[in-house]
Amino acid sequence: MVPEINAWITIAPDDTVTIRVGQTELGTGTLTVNPMMVAEELQCDWKKVRAEYASANRDVKEKAPEWTLKIPGSGETDPGGAAPVELRGMDGVYRRMIIHSSGNVRESRYYLQQAGAEARERLLLAAATEWGVPVSELVAKDSIITHAKTKRRTTYGAIAAKAARTPLPDPSKIKIKTPDKYTLLGTEQKHFDVPLKVTGEAIYGIDVRLPGMLYAAARACPVWGGDVKSYNFEAIRNMPGVHSVVRLPFNALTKSANFLCGGAAVIADSWWRAKTALDAMPIEWDYGPAAAVTSASLYEDHVAAAKLPGEPKTNEGNVDEAMGRAAKVVEAVYSVPFSPRARMEPGNATVLVTDNRVDIWSGDQDPQGLLRRAAKLTGIAPENVYIHTTFQGGGYGSNGNGPQGEQAVVVANALRGRPVKTLWTREEDWGTGTRYRPMSICFFKAGLDAGGWPIAMEVRHATTWNLGDMGYRGLSAPPYFVPNYRLTLHSPKTHVPIGTRRGTGAAPNAFYMESFIDELAHVTGKDPYFYRRELLARNPAEPKQGIGGFAHRDDFLKALDMVAKMSGWGTPLPEGWARGIAIDDRRRPTRTTSTICAQVHTVEVTRRGQLKLHRVDVAFEQGFALMNPLSVRKQIEGQIAWGYDDTMYQATTLQDGRAVERNFDKFPVSRMNEYPKQINIAFLKTNRWITGAGEEAIPQIPPAILNAVFKITGKRFRSIPLKNHDLSWG
Amino acid sequence: MAFTLLVNGVQYGVDAEPETPLLWVLRDSIGLTGTKYGCGIGQCGACTVLIDGLAVRSCFLQASRAIGKKITTIEGLSTDGSHPVQLAWKEFDVPQCGYCQSGQILAAVALLEKQPKPTDADIDAQMTNACRCGTYHRIRQAIHRAAALRA
Repeated sequence: MVPEINAWITIAPDDTVTIRVGQTELGTGTLTVNPMMVAEELQCDWKKVRAEYASANRDVKEKAPEWTLKIPGSGETDPGGAAPVELRGMDGVYRRMIIHSSGNVRESRYYLQQAGAEARERLLLAAATEWGVPVSELVAKDSIITHAKTKRRTTYGAIAAKAARTPLPDPSKIKIKTPDKYTLLGTEQKHFDVPLKVTGEAIYGIDVRLPGMLYAAARACPVWGGDVKSYNFEAIRNMPGVHSVVRLPFNALTKSANFLCGGAAVIADSWWRAKTALDAMPIEWDYGPAAAVTSASLYEDHVAAAKLPGEPKTNEGNVDEAMGRAAKVVEAVYSVPFSPRARMEPGNATVLVTDNRVDIWSGDQDPQGLLRRAAKLTGIAPENVYIHTTFQGGGYGSNGNGPQGEQAVVVANALRGRPVKTLWTREEDWGTGTRYRPMSICFFKAGLDAGGWPIAMEVRHATTWNLGDMGYRGLSAPPYFVPNYRLTLHSPKTHVPIGTRRGTGAAPNAFYMESFIDELAHVTGKDPYFYRRELLARNPAEPKQGIGGFAHRDDFLKALDMVAKMSGWGTPLPEGWARGIAIDDRRRPTRTTSTICAQVHTVEVTRRGQLKLHRVDVAFEQGFALMNPLSVRKQIEGQIAWGYDDTMYQATTLQDGRAVERNFDKFPVSRMNEYPKQINIAFLKTNRWITGAGEEAIPQIPPAILNAVFKITGKRFRSIPLKNHDLSWG
Repeated sequence: MAFTLLVNGVQYGVDAEPETPLLWVLRDSIGLTGTKYGCGIGQCGACTVLIDGLAVRSCFLQASRAIGKKITTIEGLSTDGSHPVQLAWKEFDVPQCGYCQSGQILAAVALLEKQPKPTDADIDAQMTNACRCGTYHRIRQAIHRAAALRA
């Protein structure tokens, strides 16, 4: 057995340090940055560090060490403290294993650094005990412990076994480094998973193969809320390789997306045979109450809801009085369509259920949640459920949570003793397996004074996004100074499963606000950069003092100036070209954490209406420190493509109550030829911890591109995607 | 219904319907899972393999059409990740989720066979695989680097 120093760290005699990572690697760099946070404190040789996944099963059985539970510090502005944490109820040994909300570094930073420090102190104590010298005289660096006075030296590998048996007298005294002391964190480190991903060795959920494994192809009722009436298994029983059929229950457990619909899964000895048989099996559906719903009917429902009084979120000053004395009133209606996260790897999980144990192989963003739900579905104790985490082919807003694993558990539970891989087709994944960023409509009305500055603004947002602050994040307290401001939320009903999506509510909400502010600048003949700048500068910097007053104001201004300078704002461009600007911080109304990101997109639109994104300049807040700046750069580069796709192409429309766009032919993803040739990224140092980097460069993209399109074409497009619009001009 | 396929220089006997897409024969019959399923309609390119040196979308090709041809999957590029395209991919730390990267790499290999010194326009025209993480910026740089490594 390789000595385990604590639950995160084992050290082999050859000095190989293996660091356990609780979170699934879905492309954001957790498998590398989490070990970096541990290794920074462990002071081991980074070249000898390996990563492996932590066990969710152990997390159920073992409580978190006491010293990880108290997270001191006063939050985001304390370099040695912690940002506000979302660790409610997560007191298992690995704490927060779920990965979402750009929260990996934010939420696990503190206890991962503690884990490294605790192990380092144990190694030092073990060496000091062996040599009979005071521990304070020892130095640890690059996996070597030295005692200068006696010229003694040992390695982590040599002392590890003793350290594993040497508890600290008072682990609550462990202190973690502040960012100014970092030596590994803050440097660009290549990602551990990359060598595996260029050879095909990386195992994703879809790649798991077990002896005696069967394959399941599943189909749920295409209309959410529908169920299967009947199916005729006899018609396919004799097709090659067919084994059996399993009824997929309606709303079996958790109201997770797929279980909103009943269905059937065909089991065979290969997935292609299972899918071929499923395609041939006659199924009669009960489409349920929503079978007539279309995108157009839902749009009308939203418009109707917006006419009702709604739920007031912000009501500062006297909007009606100020609107009455405005020199000019500007109104606009913005909207976004439904859209799924659309990851590349279709939903899947491989499950073996026996009478006393469940094993699940899957790339799941929430291994702890999957474990608990598998226990419920099978009636087997959580202590006997094992999650074998694999790589995950993208997530983009919790696409890897729940439904895929739950459905696979239901299937395998019906075939106890045989491992079964349940795999969705692309159509199943995008049609019934996912949740959606909902359609929403935002109605703006602004009253401007004679100088063109807003003195009143009324915002009515019709949205079904009632998860947390999704419907009003970024809208309830805009960064711009508007002395009289009102926001109301209007919630129509929908049967479409709604979920989080990369960019969260900030994405549509920043599209609305950053477009409308741009509109106001143009209406009054002002430069959109300077207009934003002035409205920011007029806002009080102290929180709670008027609308949007907030402590980050000066950093907003810095980011805006930085990106304007980077992009050559105001310098001439060829005919048919323009720059568009946007800024957002994905700031939650209920707390202060944010990541400021300002962008300028340099766009060309031909007279025939062909758009080309040539260049993107990004000023991105780094806060006290970015743990692995390479991960952040890659995230931003990728988000540019992601946000571009939202802007240009992506929408799920509804016909007969179901999703029309279920594969890449109708739901395009841009390719190499559309990716901008020039990307400039600069980091802005500020004195706080940032929220994260997994989605913070998404919200600015649609408004920045559309603001540039307006400058070129004179056409103000107030809905995305642009594929629905005629961009021709001149 | 058994037939044989030549994959990465090895003859494999396959027990599957000959109209089964090559992708599923590679993955489930032969066990080479580096080739990925993304769309099943030849759109996304996650399933790209080389057939006689050309990039082909294996989800849309009946396995029987590949009988007697030289099939190369990601596992066949090198035994240790030392193919110039793989080296360049590592140097630029290209993958994020990585799911599409086997296909991207094989598409790049096919491109470099045809155009050893590709221009940006060549890369735009030939690299038609989808990457949902949006790694195109690094893929482009890595292709130029791989071209230099091959020279």
